[in-house]
Amino acid sequence: MTSPLNREALLQAYRTMRTIRDFEERVHVDFATGEIPGFVHLYAGEEASATGICMHLNRNDYIASTHRGHGHCIAKGVDPVGMMAEIWGKATGTCKGKGGSMHIADLEVGMLGANGIVGGGGPLICGTALASKIRGENNVGVCFFGDGASNQGTIFEAMNLASVWKLPVIFVAENNGYAEATSSTFSVAVENIADRASAFGMPGVIVDGFDFFAVYEAAGEAIKRAREGGGPTLLEVKLSRYYGHFEGDQQTYRAPGEVQKLRETKDCLMQFAKRVTSRGELTMADIEAIDREVKTMIDDSVVKAKSDPLPPPEALMADVYISY
Amino acid sequence: MSPSPSRPISVGIIANPASGRDIRRLTSRASVFPNAEKASMIVRAIAGLEAAGVEHVLLMPDKGSISGLVYRALGLDGRSTEGRRVRFIDMTVSESIDDTLHATEAMCAAGVSAIIVLGGDGTHRAVAKRCGQVPLLALSTGTNNAFPEMREATVAGLAAGLIATGAVPAAAGLRRNKLLRVRCDDRDDIALVDACFTGHEYVGSRAVWDSALVEELFVTFAAADGIGLSAIAGQLEPVTRAAAHGLHVRCAPTGDTPRRVHAAIAPGLVAEVGVRDYAHLSPHEPVVLTGRSGTIALDGEREIEFHTGSRIEISLDPHGPQTIDVAATLTHAAQHRLLRHYAGGAA
Repeated sequence: MTSPLNREALLQAYRTMRTIRDFEERVHVDFATGEIPGFVHLYAGEEASATGICMHLNRNDYIASTHRGHGHCIAKGVDPVGMMAEIWGKATGTCKGKGGSMHIADLEVGMLGANGIVGGGGPLICGTALASKIRGENNVGVCFFGDGASNQGTIFEAMNLASVWKLPVIFVAENNGYAEATSSTFSVAVENIADRASAFGMPGVIVDGFDFFAVYEAAGEAIKRAREGGGPTLLEVKLSRYYGHFEGDQQTYRAPGEVQKLRETKDCLMQFAKRVTSRGELTMADIEAIDREVKTMIDDSVVKAKSDPLPPPEALMADVYISY
Repeated sequence: MSPSPSRPISVGIIANPASGRDIRRLTSRASVFPNAEKASMIVRAIAGLEAAGVEHVLLMPDKGSISGLVYRALGLDGRSTEGRRVRFIDMTVSESIDDTLHATEAMCAAGVSAIIVLGGDGTHRAVAKRCGQVPLLALSTGTNNAFPEMREATVAGLAAGLIATGAVPAAAGLRRNKLLRVRCDDRDDIALVDACFTGHEYVGSRAVWDSALVEELFVTFAAADGIGLSAIAGQLEPVTRAAAHGLHVRCAPTGDTPRRVHAAIAPGLVAEVGVRDYAHLSPHEPVVLTGRSGTIALDGEREIEFHTGSRIEISLDPHGPQTIDVAATLTHAAQHRLLRHYAGGAA
């Protein structure tokens, strides 16, 4: 049974979700000015998933992320200030400004990397899980992927391998309903991605991605099972993204008002704050203090990112090849 | 029960594509009931319904996981079912329990004489909220299945058809079920099998699998060989669906009481539960609880969060939904030779 959440844990959960939200809302605004190089894919709306899952992980556990990776990074403990600089392409960034949004990685905190290859994380996470198993460690690996990647062979192969080798892996299908502009009802042959788990001999569970507590509890059970040698789980988190596939996506494939309705009725931050304050576990003052603290931190990170230096030309070939 | 002569005899079928997908696949060893099999059950039930003389069958639509297979099996690929003997209700699909609620309302408004339900206790509870006096044929495809039965869909379709056409009278084939009415402050809800007070702080992932968190249990009936939380009561004092009373069980930590039972509270999970005491629950004699916080699970799924100071009232209502007794219906059909025909007229 997943342990109940104490005050500190509730504050941490809200702070993480608020940090992801404010980070993404700010990138959304700044990207429109044309100052940020490359592409960005925003995680706003999906915060309860990364947060509810990563709160069960420690630094030695690994996660493999996606092109929509900012939320996973923040939830796993990557410094948002370094991330902001990375997205702005600055030398002070998490990857010295040479990775950008889609390649943020920080092995120090167990973040294997955002990944431009759809479905690329599955085989990587099997590697970390196999290493942990061979070394007799107690670490787990979490592979985040989307409904688009759920149709990729790499994910199928990884799920089969994880099951055959009984690896401590949690496959997290973040089903936001659209693979770029293609509806999952058109492109995914089954209504629930979780249904595919039985084909690989692992449990498949659906969870409401707008409800932090539902995600936290289900992830806790899956991670506990993996740590105890019970093998992999497929967790399908049903959620929605508030912005387009990428910034600049006109989203003509979405119904008018779809996102606004979600923001007003199901938003994970709104639900969380309402629930914990109505139960008296946190006060509105607690919530507002975090809101202020996070806003200041994000604002400062942008000021810093703008003024930080670009990587020098002589850094071009540095860190490209690594010998082990 | 008999439909008006001017209206064709119709039966609805509701199959929930999300049933059998919750956390119990992880916390216990609950089965995954494939949607392909649900689609196949629908097709087999239709065979039974048509053999019994049902003219129209109304189906609940979904995003395609069941309906797509039904379309294919009936040879309707890509074509509208409007005006056909078997057709999908015209409604917006939300992929939530609201679909079941809306489909039930639409079927009742269309004048169906019975509804066949494929799902677990949760799906049946949703249908029961909206079906009024329309009888249900309850088929199990979910996880925590105390209310519906595991049955061959063809036979179920035949029984539903015999009731819908009036060939078997209601008195012979229908059974009245009890239900629990739960009022928590200003929220009203129902349970068909059990209402359980738990120490879980949040609705969260809904299921209840930690017996140490089961505090108080109310059941409409309790089979000794049941599965789910009602199995706890079933091992204390079995209560039939026909009995006038239910049961109210107060649990206790196993270390605090000498009275303990072992019960199959979820598939693959036999738990030891401490029992403080238990008593009959009489109809319309509400039990009022106050002064604590936690959640109430209805038919095995946490639904309501309550707080210190919440006032909760639970009562047993003997006038729950009607269900079709498949064995009794077909026995009546045999006794009255409804399905027996001999060439030459000799019976």
